[in-house]
Amino acid sequence: MSPADGGMDGARDTRSPRPFAAAAALAVLAALAVWALGADYALAQAAFVATWAIAGLGVILVVGQCGQVSLGQGALLGLGAYAQALLALRGVPAPLSLAAAVALGAAGGWLASLPARRLGGLYFAMSTLAFALVVEEALVRWESLTRGAAGLAVPPLALAGWVADTSFAQALVGGVALALAWFACRRWVASRLGRAWRAVREDEVAAAAAGIDVARAKTLAFVLGGGLSGLAGALYAHWIGFVSPEQFGLMLSFELLMLAFIGGARHLAGALWGALVVVALPQGVSLAVERLPPGLAGAAGIETALFGAVLVILVLLRPGGLAGSR
Amino acid sequence: MKLIRRTLAALVLAVAGVAAAQVPGVGEREIVVGSIQDLSGPIALLGVPVRDGMQMRFDDANAAGGVHGRKLRLVVEDAGYDPKKGVLAARKLVQRDRVFAFLANLGTPVVMATMPLIVDAGRPHLFPFSPHESTYAPRHPLKFQMFAPYQDYMDAATRYMVQTHGYRKTCLLYQDDDYGLEVMKGVEAGLAKLGQPLVEKTSYKRGATDFSSQIARLRGAGCDFVVLATVVRETVAAVAEARRTGWNVDMLVTASGYSAQTHELGGKAVEGLYGVTVLPHPYEAGANGQLADWIRRYRERFGAAPNVWSVMGYGVADLFVKAADKAGRELTVERFTAAMESLHTPRDFFGAPEYRFSRDDHLGNRHGRIAQIRDGRWVILSDYLK
Repeated sequence: MSPADGGMDGARDTRSPRPFAAAAALAVLAALAVWALGADYALAQAAFVATWAIAGLGVILVVGQCGQVSLGQGALLGLGAYAQALLALRGVPAPLSLAAAVALGAAGGWLASLPARRLGGLYFAMSTLAFALVVEEALVRWESLTRGAAGLAVPPLALAGWVADTSFAQALVGGVALALAWFACRRWVASRLGRAWRAVREDEVAAAAAGIDVARAKTLAFVLGGGLSGLAGALYAHWIGFVSPEQFGLMLSFELLMLAFIGGARHLAGALWGALVVVALPQGVSLAVERLPPGLAGAAGIETALFGAVLVILVLLRPGGLAGSR
Repeated sequence: MKLIRRTLAALVLAVAGVAAAQVPGVGEREIVVGSIQDLSGPIALLGVPVRDGMQMRFDDANAAGGVHGRKLRLVVEDAGYDPKKGVLAARKLVQRDRVFAFLANLGTPVVMATMPLIVDAGRPHLFPFSPHESTYAPRHPLKFQMFAPYQDYMDAATRYMVQTHGYRKTCLLYQDDDYGLEVMKGVEAGLAKLGQPLVEKTSYKRGATDFSSQIARLRGAGCDFVVLATVVRETVAAVAEARRTGWNVDMLVTASGYSAQTHELGGKAVEGLYGVTVLPHPYEAGANGQLADWIRRYRERFGAAPNVWSVMGYGVADLFVKAADKAGRELTVERFTAAMESLHTPRDFFGAPEYRFSRDDHLGNRHGRIAQIRDGRWVILSDYLK
């Protein structure tokens, strides 16, 4: 079997197996959410789901497509969020500041990928962990710019006089950004570059022997994944309205990795499914807990315990992720 | 077509009906109050007793017939210190549970992310557990705070300690986040009033367990008084490290380290540690009649001994009950905030400070007092320092 064949299989496995069933399931979920929660609350959820799905696409490019473990994705979101917050506060128009946030995320991704030239596997994963710690520390220490641990208040997103301060507007912006990101990712994974990523994922030595520039493939995965993270971070900063370094710590990186694996790291659709689970499931659990008898509902940590139980069941039933074929 | 038109008409009527209905969260028979807590995240240690304390005060009020015939219902959402979950929880409480007000939301990132949304929805934002100044200043008609800011009471506490003990070299160990920064501002301001500099300061990251380098650095600078902007575990670790190396310097921890856990965990090592207290810990031994009864009821209700956070939760809810009572039967947001602005409560059986709000000042208290660990418990040494 030539690497090209593997690439073809890979291209096929990036698509969700049953797009119509998936779309129908999503529509039902959305209708349920609006019915149970009210439109505004459901739309606020949708805005976060779309934003987290963009970040998830970034993880999927790096982890699912290129096969590199990144523990620093949260820090890249942080770079995007701070770039956006600082520029928005200085009155830079959103199209420019969003581009800058994407660029900073991509630059961060490039920086984080440098050790990949010398390190592989777990050692490289450790270096991305170090990168995340350095970024968080820098955000705390560079007080003159970031106001350190005190954090920054972020104004709502304004696009040419239109202010996205309702949850409908936020969901709309998030949805459009996700659609654009999705379109870009589909093109990348179906291209020569996508085939190179999958070859690197399956076997680095074989990929190099087949004439693939392994270092370049890895760097590009990090740069593009970083850009997506930067975009997600920029939107997140507006939806939350307040950024502080502690929000972009290791917990966020782990949450994003969890998102990718639960959704299905090998499929782009995994980002959306994963985001739904990570963002919306805790809210669903919280609603379910309200139905429990008061003694049980009041127990501390019950929501976390239930959320954990659902995750375990999901992973057992669908080890390849929700978007996986099995 | 007819059917569609009728449905639409019915919808419009229903929407208009809801819009015309009275104040959100205030029904004929109940008042709904929301709170965003951390019951599963890094400060769940605080969140659980705070929630239980609030619940107990509401239960007490309900047992006494409620407020003007309305029962109080507390809806708690767990955000686990995650601002993303906090925002969603705030929207849920505003739209789905239609709460009248928010009480004691916990954690700076969560508070900062949710506060704009809450006041935009016209709901009072009451007594959040966050040291951030924006929770009460600049004055906003819907924002009220009752927790003395670190900056104010650490300024007074530092001055008091330096003046009464005659220290010459004051130093600071602080957590490098918003909490630590607020304390630093207070300590520096207090020292400046006495014409003294802050001789040395050194920081640590939240969750640190090893303080050997920080303590060595402070000792090297010849400090004779060390202020600790630490939380419970770090307080114990830092004091223990100093004592282990034979350094018997006087240390003063903020109200974040004033907890029964400090002497339970620290044992002999933390004997003699000074602390600032804004609310006293409810010790069973030596409690007055009312307090002893309260402790017993709390134990029965929640199966755990109350701590200073339980007292805080109870106090927060107590202020809400008093203001709602003062606002009268026709409860609206305007009447409630007007009642808040003229609220003045005396000291209670816990020994909590007086709270005084006014039209121009939405911060109820600015003062703390000095305590010291003696024979394994906190003993209060001074009155509230002005």
